[in-house]
Amino acid sequence: MIRAIGLVKIYQTGGLPVPAVRGVDLVVEPGEFVAIMGPSGSGKSTFVHMLGGLETRTSGEIWLDGKRADTLSESGWAVLRRQKVGFVFQFFNLVTNMTVADNVELPALLGGASPKHARERREYLLAELGLEERASAAPGQLSGGEQQRVALARALANQPRLLLADEPTGNLDSRNTRDVLKLLGKVHRQGQTIVLVTHDARVASMADRVVSLLDGQIVDDAPIARIQRRPGGTAGDIVELRG
Amino acid sequence: MITGVGVRAEVRWVRADLRARRGQALLTVIAVAGIVTALITAATLLEDGTNPWRGLFERGRGAHVWIHTKGAPNVPALRALGGVTDVAGPYRSAPATLADHGRKVPIALQETTAALPSVARPLLREGRWLDVRHPDGVVVEQSFAKALGLHPGSPFPVTGLNGATHTLTVAGLAESGDQGFYPEWTPGLAWTLSSTLTMVEPAPGRTESVTGLRLADAGYTDIVVQQAVITLRNQVQRVSTWREVRASMELDNRLLGLLLALFGLAGLVAAALALANATGGRVLTQLRDIATLKSLGFTREQVTRMLVAEHGTLGLLGIALGLVAGRVITAYALSDTVVVPLSSGPLVAITAGTALVVLVAVWLPAWRGGATPPIPAAPAAPPHGRLSRLARVALLVRLPPALVLGARDAFTRPTSAILTLTGVAIPMMMITIGLGCWATLDGFIRHPEQVGQAAALSVRPGDLTASEALGRAMADPDVVTAYPGVELDALVPWQTRTVRTRALGLSSDPYPFPVAEGRMFRDRGEAVAGQGLLDLLGLRIGDRVRMTIGGTPLIVKIVGRVIEPEQDGEVLSFGVDSLAAKDATPPQFYSLVLRPGADAGEVRARLQAQALEVDQAVNPADRLSVIRVIIVALVVVLALIGLANLLTASALGLRDHLLDLAVLKAMGLTPRQVMATLVTGTGLVAMAGVVLGGSAGAFLSKGLIDLEGRGSGVGAGIGRAPTPGMLAGALLVAIGATLLVALIPARRAARARVPVTAR
Repeated sequence: MIRAIGLVKIYQTGGLPVPAVRGVDLVVEPGEFVAIMGPSGSGKSTFVHMLGGLETRTSGEIWLDGKRADTLSESGWAVLRRQKVGFVFQFFNLVTNMTVADNVELPALLGGASPKHARERREYLLAELGLEERASAAPGQLSGGEQQRVALARALANQPRLLLADEPTGNLDSRNTRDVLKLLGKVHRQGQTIVLVTHDARVASMADRVVSLLDGQIVDDAPIARIQRRPGGTAGDIVELRG
Repeated sequence: MITGVGVRAEVRWVRADLRARRGQALLTVIAVAGIVTALITAATLLEDGTNPWRGLFERGRGAHVWIHTKGAPNVPALRALGGVTDVAGPYRSAPATLADHGRKVPIALQETTAALPSVARPLLREGRWLDVRHPDGVVVEQSFAKALGLHPGSPFPVTGLNGATHTLTVAGLAESGDQGFYPEWTPGLAWTLSSTLTMVEPAPGRTESVTGLRLADAGYTDIVVQQAVITLRNQVQRVSTWREVRASMELDNRLLGLLLALFGLAGLVAAALALANATGGRVLTQLRDIATLKSLGFTREQVTRMLVAEHGTLGLLGIALGLVAGRVITAYALSDTVVVPLSSGPLVAITAGTALVVLVAVWLPAWRGGATPPIPAAPAAPPHGRLSRLARVALLVRLPPALVLGARDAFTRPTSAILTLTGVAIPMMMITIGLGCWATLDGFIRHPEQVGQAAALSVRPGDLTASEALGRAMADPDVVTAYPGVELDALVPWQTRTVRTRALGLSSDPYPFPVAEGRMFRDRGEAVAGQGLLDLLGLRIGDRVRMTIGGTPLIVKIVGRVIEPEQDGEVLSFGVDSLAAKDATPPQFYSLVLRPGADAGEVRARLQAQALEVDQAVNPADRLSVIRVIIVALVVVLALIGLANLLTASALGLRDHLLDLAVLKAMGLTPRQVMATLVTGTGLVAMAGVVLGGSAGAFLSKGLIDLEGRGSGVGAGIGRAPTPGMLAGALLVAIGATLLVALIPARRAARARVPVTAR
């Protein structure tokens, strides 16, 4: 599905090279839910931004659906994003001028869908996320949790092959965090590939696999056994897993 | 694939953005519309002022061709000619003379009807039209009446060819697009009733018939004239067409044209500035949204295109609105002065020029928006905000902290400070240049001697001898000096045309020409010239020029350059004694210098009563008076643009400072102090812009106007900087307005609750 080979990002800050990501190799299979964890400044956001083409890599390769993507131009990346990649950000990043409905329809229209199809898809997604009432509201009128659910709807509008989420719950209270996570779990179960950046262990525990970054390098890459999420699991299960 | 797809998404975003900021969008449209309206109104006024024929002809439904025949022509045959839509007349016309203060002025009496005709209709300006109950009334052509000092009610003693004198009365004054202005077009015209004409000229053989043909298209003129001459065979005595009338009315004033071009340019720059600022400000406030759009898959080209489309459409809408408003204003508000809309040449130039300016001005910030990196979460780079040593000192000596913080804000963001500065300075500079033009016009009026009009009046002897005329003129208590003068056309080698030479005063006692370079002529054979003549002949001061005046060769040395408002500066002036005696005596006229403070009009009336033919000099400022209207209009538009730029700047400043404000409030600044901080932040930069723009304008205006003077042939040396009082007033008003505008968003910000999260 998506493959990063030796991905490196070095920022030039005041003439000094500051490496943010130093040689990360990662393969995400279709339908997989990968959480990327790490402390602040470990390069996890930069890494995910590079996977979506929001930032250019310094070196390394990115393959998406068997095609090399890192050599694409800015415009090429933009087209690729609108077709295959959905993004969710910590600060929601809804277009402030547009209503909730317009925000969700925008990617579909951008992808070339007819207004009718875009509207149907928006109605379906907002209904799924329990926001059909707020369709004509401005983003500023929504609570943080609602805004993030709209952002999620927008990210899913084009049925992307890959959903990239950068600290989607970082700015939410625990109740809204739970709601958003529930939704992510739901789309994952429907087969959505997700790469999620978080520094919250509880959020990471939703994933199939947790990749830990430290100082721009992978220090741990471990699958989480299904058994962990089974209700009624005991402490023994965890001990067994970690072993 | 990259383009084409997703247009719907772009349209959706543009619509949402416009909906979210209706007021701002409206302001942009109005600003552009205002500039286009001002340009169109100015150009129309100018065109009408310099070419009055169009308006007169259109309003009076003039005839394109006038045919003078011995007897009445075959009207149905003329009417049947292809292209002829209407026929005026035939009217009988008779030559006569008018006794005016003891001299005889040739006139043409033309028959007309008591009801105003529908074609070639004289336009009554004063008094009333002819009336069968008052058969002794005449209506006099206005320029002729002005030259002779006639008013409604004045006696009009007419002598026919048979020598009999009839005392008629002026009933009214009228203008006509069918005859040029007096004295360029002679004889003077007076309209009478048929019976009156018969009374003055009873012999039918001494009158001629004039018939006007109005054509469907002015382009048919030549063909129609040919056909008419053939149709009427030997009857035709002479034919005149609209072209001759127009040529005689046209005021070829290059200075006016150049000044207007300067203002047009100023208007375009202002339009560009307003749009670039509005678009730039909008794009800056939207960078986060634009980044989000890019993360959704908008390409750089799409973003640029979208912004150009949005803001360009507003600009083009403004242009369209301005075109309509310009037409409406000239058609209704100025219906008394302007009848004919602007001709297509200047209209297309204004439209295309502003459209181009709009697109370029919008493209630049749009390109900047397109280049936004697609990382929405990227925080804005924090400004290098350190309290400078100066600020720390200021705090130590207990300057109000709000002032110190505001001053620090003003200069910590150099890009936005420069934008604000130029956004205010350029309109201010243009305004100051406009004031300089105003001061220059005032200078023309207050000191006519500095533009070559030391003599307010000139008298022609007419029927008197030159010495009699001089004696009568000098007898007037207000006349100080009289200089004998002759104006002649001279042939210059290698020139296909003649140039005007003016012999005025003696070499030993020269007329006080305003010498701008070199010196005044002192000897026979020395001359001074206007810039236009120097340019025309490629001469410099010190050169000799050889010419032929009335068959006599004359060689003069050019010793100086004078300010020369006549004939686009193509005039050579020297002493009367430099001319051959046959050309110089008797002098054609005397230029009279009046006592300072004397009323030229009164002196003129007194001298006219002495049977002298008196001309009053027309001050160039009177001819340029339309410029004053344009200056006022442009100053208003420029001021609005400067304030709009400032509003954008303070909105941006507010956006940048929202988070800081929360901190400041938390630190314990009162709302009033917060407000003062914000006002100082934008106000300081804007005030710097006002002062900078004002001084630059004051500094540049003299040079710019001199440049215009040089280009127009009048010559450098006319330019004035705005008077200190004017400049100080403009600066004070501008600074006051600036602070008021900066206060509006600041007040709101100080009251508003400041968010503490990142949106």
